Amino acid sequence: MFANILDLPFDAILTQTLSAFFGVNAMYFAIAAIGLNVQFGYAGLLNFGQAGFMACGAYAVGMTTHYFDISFWWGIPIAVTYAVVFGLIMGIPTLRLRADYLAIVTIALAEVIRLVVRSVTFKKYFNGSDGINGFADTFRRVTPFDDAKRYKLYPFDTSNGTGATVLLLVVFGVIAVLAGRVLLGRFGRERSNRGVMWAVFAGASFLVVLVISSYVEYGGQSFKAIIVGWILAAVFGAFVFMLMRSPWGRVLKGIREDEEAVRSLGKSVYSYKMQALIIGGVIATFSGMMLSLDRGSVQPDNYSRDVTFYVLTALVLGGAAKVSGSIVGPMLFWGILSFTDVFLNSLFKEWGNQIGIFGWKFVSNSSQVGMIVQGMIGLMLVLLMVFRPQGLFGNRKEMALDGR
Amino acid sequence: MLLLAGLAVFGMFAAPANAESAPAEQAASAAPPAEGDVAIKVRVQNQVQDEATGKTNKEPIVGASIQVLGADGAVVAEGVTDDKGLATIPVPVKADYTVKLDESSLPDGFVLVDGTAERQVLEAKFVTSSVTVNYFTGQAQRVTIGWWSQFAQRLADGARLGLVLAMCAVGLSLIFGTTGLTNFAHGEMVTFGAMIAYILNIDVGLHLVLAAPIAIIAGGLFGVAFDGVVFGPLRRRKIGLVSQMVVTVGLAIVLKNAFLWQLGGRVKQFSDFNNQECTSIGPVCITPRDLTTSALSLVILVAVAFALQRTRLGKATRAVSDNPDLASSTGIDSQKIIRIVWILGGMLAATGGIFRGLDEGISPTLGADLLFLMFAGITLGGLGSAFGALVGGFVIGIFVEVTTLGIPIFPGKDWPDPFNWIHNGVPSELKNVPAYLIMIVVLLVRPQGILGRRERVG
Repeated sequence: MFANILDLPFDAILTQTLSAFFGVNAMYFAIAAIGLNVQFGYAGLLNFGQAGFMACGAYAVGMTTHYFDISFWWGIPIAVTYAVVFGLIMGIPTLRLRADYLAIVTIALAEVIRLVVRSVTFKKYFNGSDGINGFADTFRRVTPFDDAKRYKLYPFDTSNGTGATVLLLVVFGVIAVLAGRVLLGRFGRERSNRGVMWAVFAGASFLVVLVISSYVEYGGQSFKAIIVGWILAAVFGAFVFMLMRSPWGRVLKGIREDEEAVRSLGKSVYSYKMQALIIGGVIATFSGMMLSLDRGSVQPDNYSRDVTFYVLTALVLGGAAKVSGSIVGPMLFWGILSFTDVFLNSLFKEWGNQIGIFGWKFVSNSSQVGMIVQGMIGLMLVLLMVFRPQGLFGNRKEMALDGR
Repeated sequence: MLLLAGLAVFGMFAAPANAESAPAEQAASAAPPAEGDVAIKVRVQNQVQDEATGKTNKEPIVGASIQVLGADGAVVAEGVTDDKGLATIPVPVKADYTVKLDESSLPDGFVLVDGTAERQVLEAKFVTSSVTVNYFTGQAQRVTIGWWSQFAQRLADGARLGLVLAMCAVGLSLIFGTTGLTNFAHGEMVTFGAMIAYILNIDVGLHLVLAAPIAIIAGGLFGVAFDGVVFGPLRRRKIGLVSQMVVTVGLAIVLKNAFLWQLGGRVKQFSDFNNQECTSIGPVCITPRDLTTSALSLVILVAVAFALQRTRLGKATRAVSDNPDLASSTGIDSQKIIRIVWILGGMLAATGGIFRGLDEGISPTLGADLLFLMFAGITLGGLGSAFGALVGGFVIGIFVEVTTLGIPIFPGKDWPDPFNWIHNGVPSELKNVPAYLIMIVVLLVRPQGILGRRERVG
């Protein structure tokens, strides 16, 4: 049995896991989580309809070719319009009411969107359950990566040019410095030699990122979406970071803590909540957009309610009300997920259906592995909410939300 | 403690040994999807609408010939449907294909229902090694029956759905009223009842009449386990309600996948009370089974309403629901009431699940599909009010079914897009949408619902 464990393809498992850290899934989850963070983390709005906002973005770009027959770039303003309209429809009836109303209405409206776009009735506009294809050509043409090549993130890989090496080193450096700052905030708050600590943390992070990157490689086609998506995530992350340090952001956090107090200061709570809902939603549309640009196809079932909950889990894992949490959370989430998935699948392949008791099989066909992994996401959400609601980076006080 | 709960839940599913999963599926999924095994499965079925019940039955069509064309338009492979109406056509690689059905090979009088004989199969759709393409045929003509008798039939169907919804929603609303918690896992509690009844019925071999009460008791235990293992401790630790709500979401994901894991995704039937002929009562045709379940639901609902209105325990429940602190100060043990409400909610949900399972078949999403209709009902009736949930659930059930029937004003006139629904009714694939929209309108106009009181809100 021990020999069997060593037979598992650990190299492949490691590569898949580490590639998932920066992969397409982590990228689009990160953008969605940054949006959800504005609503859930900072404003305390329990938006369970993030998948609906993501569908807005995906269908906006998809419909440019399928229905409107205009340039792909119009997809971006159309997506923003959709998100604003969708946010208004969600917010107007619910934002004056208690938190659970918003949760129910957002989840129901996201479901309405999914039902409508996959229906035969509206096939003319959204092409039903077949989804929309063939809109991503422009995007793929303008991004400067070769579909046939495989791209490695390791800066010193021979296939990368000097430009790429320098760029990657700079990006890693920035990531390492930011990570060092976060780690310093966590572990080195009371120390006197904070500068040294920062350098140590940053250096260690740099090494870790370097080691991880040596395992990571992507095909040219998804690399386009990955790069553009992570740039978007960085931009949105910086935007939200600055927004939450502005007076506007402070009011928003005040609403989360005590709505009545903010109202008594003469602020329009309703309007602030609406703005937060829409800003978060607009950010999330880009997530759906990037997913569909990578796949080259818009599929209605990519925007089911479970997606919202997985994004929420990823956000809580990283830590709500922290920009770093909303970016690192999805990365870890997909790392854990693909590790479990690949590991269980290769375990299943090795041992078939030998694991079980009294004739009952733990896993008797490979599709059950996926269900176990998805069930574990739910379990992860429960355990996080109960034992560590602040996730990795969050502040426990900020997550003591109460609806009643 | 949570882990224990998880084990207990999984333990309950340990009994069935996946007896029903078809050997074909196992063979297909046990073998890893090698690059050579890629295939397109084409299923051709004839849809026959049973005018009496309005339900659609599907029959396989044998001998339809199908071509698979490559991206360049050349024929890659061909196939003919077998006696199951299925043609498995191996293709060399995962790529974009066009599947083309030869319409002249269909039996005489059969035409494709939704138009196109050519379907696109895209590379991205090959999630596993095969993709299934469905074709549906139907007879061109339809027998017309009178609008009023159609209306009566939909009303009866709606009443049946409404009774199930009311039954499930009462528990959901009472749990909300007494603890403030919106339980997103309530749908899974509904599924749980149906699943337990199914396991006892099929795997253990009990008659459904015996299996159902056991499943209902299991549902009650399941409910109290929710409270005892998860939400009771969370309340004592003073975890916020929003966090608790997110916990229910997590539990819903866990449970749904546990159902899928052990029982698979296909819709299943109980072994008893199947294939009943419907008997006509006035304009309505209803099977004895559906008549019995409706009568039983009605009795249960009246009993619940009576118990809430008249018994000491019911009054105490309503008192806690109105104001937990005040109720506690008058000597009511609110923790005990909350436990009872969870048991009652679990039992009602399980009952609703079994009845719904008899009606529509048992699937892992049986309850989750009803959850938003329950919410719509509760919102309509007033969040937290038991009677509101009862009435609201019932109204929503009827509303969902009746709106699928259009009002034939000016027959023969072609209405423009959004208005042809008035004429044709809401398409059945979207039939839940009006209920969701009603919920939003209610929140805009009268957020406390029909029977709720103003101070509950905001």
